[in-house]
Amino acid sequence: MTPMVDLAFLLVTFFMLTTKFRADEPVVVDTPSSISEIKLPDIDIMTITIAPEGKLYFNIDGKKTREKVLRKMGERYQVEFTDAEVNRFSVLTSFGLPIRELKQYLPMDETARKLITQNGVPYDSLNNELSDWVRFSRLENPQFRIAVKGDRKADYKTVKRVIDILQTNKVNKFNLITDLESTI
Amino acid sequence: MAEINHDQGTPDKKGKKPVQKKFSTHIDMTPVVDIAFLLLTFFMLTTTFSKPKTMEVNMPIKTDNPEDQQKVSEKQTITILLGNNDQVVWYQGLENPTPNITDLSASGLRKTLIEKNSSVYSKATILKDSLSRGFIKIDEFKKRLGVIKQDKSGLIVLIKAQDESSYSNLVDVLDEMAVCHIGRYAIVDITPIEIEMIEKI
Repeated sequence: MTPMVDLAFLLVTFFMLTTKFRADEPVVVDTPSSISEIKLPDIDIMTITIAPEGKLYFNIDGKKTREKVLRKMGERYQVEFTDAEVNRFSVLTSFGLPIRELKQYLPMDETARKLITQNGVPYDSLNNELSDWVRFSRLENPQFRIAVKGDRKADYKTVKRVIDILQTNKVNKFNLITDLESTI
Repeated sequence: MAEINHDQGTPDKKGKKPVQKKFSTHIDMTPVVDIAFLLLTFFMLTTTFSKPKTMEVNMPIKTDNPEDQQKVSEKQTITILLGNNDQVVWYQGLENPTPNITDLSASGLRKTLIEKNSSVYSKATILKDSLSRGFIKIDEFKKRLGVIKQDKSGLIVLIKAQDESSYSNLVDVLDEMAVCHIGRYAIVDITPIEIEMIEKI
């Protein structure tokens, strides 16, 4: 019995230490597969998620960077964020809301926040908030690598639009997140 | 649960020395094991080992100045158009193209690309072979593969997708570039003539 328990606890410890819980994301995307084996780095990542209906979600890492970027975005769009809201934002992950709705979204508690349907960051030519998010984030941290996480069923129109936005921000090199192809 | 044997060490009836008090230290391990395995199962099921993989894409720098744009040889150029229903249309050259229809399977687009890119592909295959036999190290392999892929005689691929094309098809085509060791490719906007071409087929 004792060796078995030892082994069980060893495995428990192993899994406890290695496991990393998936971050809460507003949308689940099914990424296409590829043979590429390049791993995505852990830090300095800006993720633009493309949902099948053409909605975009934005995420950057780094607590300090998130705070600064949100403040700059607030200035740009004349939305005043309180310290508490900025703090809240800095620990969240991916979001898909226009900046004004973000203002209402941040003070909510966990359960209320889950109920909100996020309709994506606006990226049309009239109100191109995505472009500003990308620009301010890159100003704040030039090391950012940009990862585009598109759903299999997303159409090329949206992808092209995202690429265009990136290119107007002088990003000509980016990563597409894929799954490892199982059979090849 | 955790029971301890209270063996009261009663003196032997036959009048010998009293036996020393004995406490058995065995406790019931079953609940502990239960919990351990419960946790083990939980962590095993929730853990995600596979970190997301990425493919790098380099877009050509946008320029309006025609002098900055690279001229490419017509013979070396293949244009791949993403059609409907996972179909792919490709043509060679730029003038009077003859469109060919194929799919994204290994016997479809890949076969064509390997054929057209044979000089680079065979070099890369030899290089891969020497890597698997251990003649060269992985760093060396990557370096030399990079040089081979940028070879001027290699195929140049222009990838053009329609607005309705699915993203997964685009990734599949980009994947074919990696499989066929094509180093020079670009994602370009589609022209109305090409859309017409797809519709005719």
